[in-house]
Amino acid sequence: MLDLLKSALAGAPGYAEIRYHRRLQTAIDARNGTLKRVERRTLAGAGVRCLVDGSWGFVSTTDVTREGLVKAIAEASDAARAGARLRREKARLAPARLGKGEFIYQAREDEPDIATKIGVVMAAEKRMREVSPLVVGSIVIYTEYADEKYIVTSDGAEAHIVDHKPSFHVFVTVGRGDERETGAKGWGVTGGWHDLMRKRDLNKMVDEAVDLAVRKLDAGYAKGGQYTVILDPQLVGVLSHEAIGHTVEADFVQSGSVVKDKIAEKVASDLVTLVDDGTMRGAAGMALVDDEGVLGERTVVIDKGVLRNYLHSRESAAAFDTVPRGNARAFTYRDEPIIRMTNTFILPGASKLDDMVAGIEDGFFLKEMGQGGQADATAEFMFGISEAYRVRHGKVGELVKGITISGQAFEVLKSVDAVSGDFELNLGSGHCGKWQPAKVDAGGPYLRCRVTIGGRHE
Amino acid sequence: MKGVELCDELVHRARARGADEAEVYYLRTRKLEAVFEKNDLQVPKGDTYEGVGVRVIRGARQGFSATNVLTDEAVDDAICAALAIAAASPEDPNHVLPEPSETRPVPGIYDERAEGLALEDALDLGRRFVESARGYDRRVTIDSASFVVQVGERAIVNSEGVRLSERGTSLSCVGMGFARDGDDVSSFDVEYSGSCVLADIDPEASGRRLAEKVVKALGATTIPSFKGAVIITPYAGGELIAEPIVFSVSAENVQNGRSRWAGKLGANVASGLLRVTDDPRIPGGVGSTSFDREGVPPEPLEIIGGGVLGHYLYNCYTARKDGVRSNGRAVGSDQTTPGIGTTNLVVAPGTISLDEMVRNTPKGLIVNRFSGNLDPVSGDFSGVVKGGHYVEHGEVAKPVKEVMIAGNIYELFAHIVAVSREAVTIGDMRLPYIQLEGVSVTGK
Repeated sequence: MLDLLKSALAGAPGYAEIRYHRRLQTAIDARNGTLKRVERRTLAGAGVRCLVDGSWGFVSTTDVTREGLVKAIAEASDAARAGARLRREKARLAPARLGKGEFIYQAREDEPDIATKIGVVMAAEKRMREVSPLVVGSIVIYTEYADEKYIVTSDGAEAHIVDHKPSFHVFVTVGRGDERETGAKGWGVTGGWHDLMRKRDLNKMVDEAVDLAVRKLDAGYAKGGQYTVILDPQLVGVLSHEAIGHTVEADFVQSGSVVKDKIAEKVASDLVTLVDDGTMRGAAGMALVDDEGVLGERTVVIDKGVLRNYLHSRESAAAFDTVPRGNARAFTYRDEPIIRMTNTFILPGASKLDDMVAGIEDGFFLKEMGQGGQADATAEFMFGISEAYRVRHGKVGELVKGITISGQAFEVLKSVDAVSGDFELNLGSGHCGKWQPAKVDAGGPYLRCRVTIGGRHE
Repeated sequence: MKGVELCDELVHRARARGADEAEVYYLRTRKLEAVFEKNDLQVPKGDTYEGVGVRVIRGARQGFSATNVLTDEAVDDAICAALAIAAASPEDPNHVLPEPSETRPVPGIYDERAEGLALEDALDLGRRFVESARGYDRRVTIDSASFVVQVGERAIVNSEGVRLSERGTSLSCVGMGFARDGDDVSSFDVEYSGSCVLADIDPEASGRRLAEKVVKALGATTIPSFKGAVIITPYAGGELIAEPIVFSVSAENVQNGRSRWAGKLGANVASGLLRVTDDPRIPGGVGSTSFDREGVPPEPLEIIGGGVLGHYLYNCYTARKDGVRSNGRAVGSDQTTPGIGTTNLVVAPGTISLDEMVRNTPKGLIVNRFSGNLDPVSGDFSGVVKGGHYVEHGEVAKPVKEVMIAGNIYELFAHIVAVSREAVTIGDMRLPYIQLEGVSVTGK
């Protein structure tokens, strides 16, 4: 395949890249005592991108014969020429460390067949209904991407990538009278079925989701306001990815995000070091080579409170006169690479979680993300919280529901006064959305900081 | 080979390999797209796609597999994978494929002029959107915008005699932007317009609307907390009003206990001012169609009339479970099994103008866009208001920031006090401005 792509690329004008991407996706969805859907999808084709006269052209096709690829290159370069008449800011590419050779992200051991996987999913869903008589809705979903890619660029990338990313979601609804509450758990990895099962115990996750939902039926609401809180590793991941990470994506920076022109400025507490790293083995955002053929490396975004780097594609790196480190990613062959995060996290600190809780006079202990959540270029964010406890006089108290947190993410990071020594990446189950989805991961230690709690005004 | 003929062939092969019943859904599209970022062209894109989804039923067990590689070997592999999944799945007597029923074409979903467009035309339409927004006020930044022209054909054949195909075109323009004046950065806002018909698309007007919204959001200040009136704009209403309704009338959610409206057909679920229809036959409508993902022709449905719940939305599986006929609300692509969804969801406009609505509000908040969390099961929502405006003494007083709203949407449906005459089409939804009472507004 590499030879075919190289030969098709040979006559291309300017810079050109061909990415052949074959995805075999499996989804198993059991709910409410039935196997709702099992789907196996093949999505395969080539994404061809040309840069001519400072403008891009992108064409995707299912025809991966030599003739088909040559035609796609001709169409993409025509599109680029048409674009060049319109585009004011001419694109240039920064030099980069390009991937060459084989990249097998995580070898899969004894991958079970589809019948076995269906059986496990159905058994977990059955267990969910049996854990509590209050369960009125039960969902267990397994999703798997088995990707194979070949990436060739006219300036020397020649990478063959084999990448598997499976994930589990469990979702329960409990009811009493007219009241409904939900509980959810999700986790994902780069690797095989057994890596996924090692990351979390499926039965335990089912039990915990049901237990949380049942306890929420009796939980009250809290009054909104400014509070000191503990964020767990997943919420630290959400903050790092959603609220901070997007604002440091160079395309967002160029369009005027809140950290524009703030390199070398103090943007967070000294205790905060935040990185993006596609080389984290087994994490769901693992990308050893990105979709421009650039090798993944760790980017230190915030170093001890000081903003050091943005996240780049080859194009944005040229504009900022820096180097790209593997953040240009495409979801399928039909998508062009754009600036994305990989695994985004805050490095652990030295505090003990118990001491951090003991230092809170009036606040909350917050765990995992609930439904919803958004942030924008101003780094203002809002996230739903799945599991929230009141903290008073240094003691964790009752569960409360309907909690959201909001604030300006950099203000929140400036308010961090304790970082625990724990570390976990725990945001690998879902997708990040930015025109196209991407598998990412995020996390860190526990943080103590100030946020705005949204509750209910009675 | 044409779409239906390929479907015929694959249905035949699936039956020959042992399927009792088989369905093949075919999709072919050509898509042209102009992507803009930071007020400038980012990339022109072209895509051609062709794929099939194969669903088999064997001994009351269902399997599904899809492929966009249409070689002999690849489609055989898909058929075998679907049969293997069926063999590993439990029996479920509700799996069923529909028999044919009469379909009528919907006018205006295929526009020859759209079929004739080239990539340069998409670039030009996108450029007009961006220039219009920028021309309105130089403080406006179009962070990203995309103009998409899509032409395609879908076809479905099943072993029970369904054999249908439909050609369609669609054009859509979506832009996201903000305004910046020195250190003052407005909220992000979005503007979407879409139609099957080229003549309905006005990129200049669309760009201007986005620019107006973000410029108006400059200079936002905080406000104190209160509990009271909010006016939900059509954009915010998509998430706050339409989504929970669609969720709760999906027969699947009704059957699995997640819908608050299970067992409530014929009962009051909202204020008498609320009327919601789902209409697959709007000429040129983005969601218009003559047959659903399973080949069943949908008819217009009054989902809520005068606050009374009228219908649930069914596909064949959920319909069989309830012992009724599918009302043609199966949705999905060639790559997915049929789910449940709406066609064109229309919240009927009311009788008063938006201006009158504001004049009647002594104190309130216009929710331009909602960024938050709405749990469609319980109805609890809580989130940040983006580009919101404070209403005082019957006038729009000022733009606001750092304001959150919270409440329970199902309880608030009973507190709809006004619905505007003006309505906005956003893709496959059409919504007016809706005023609710009793919403918690948390300021600073």
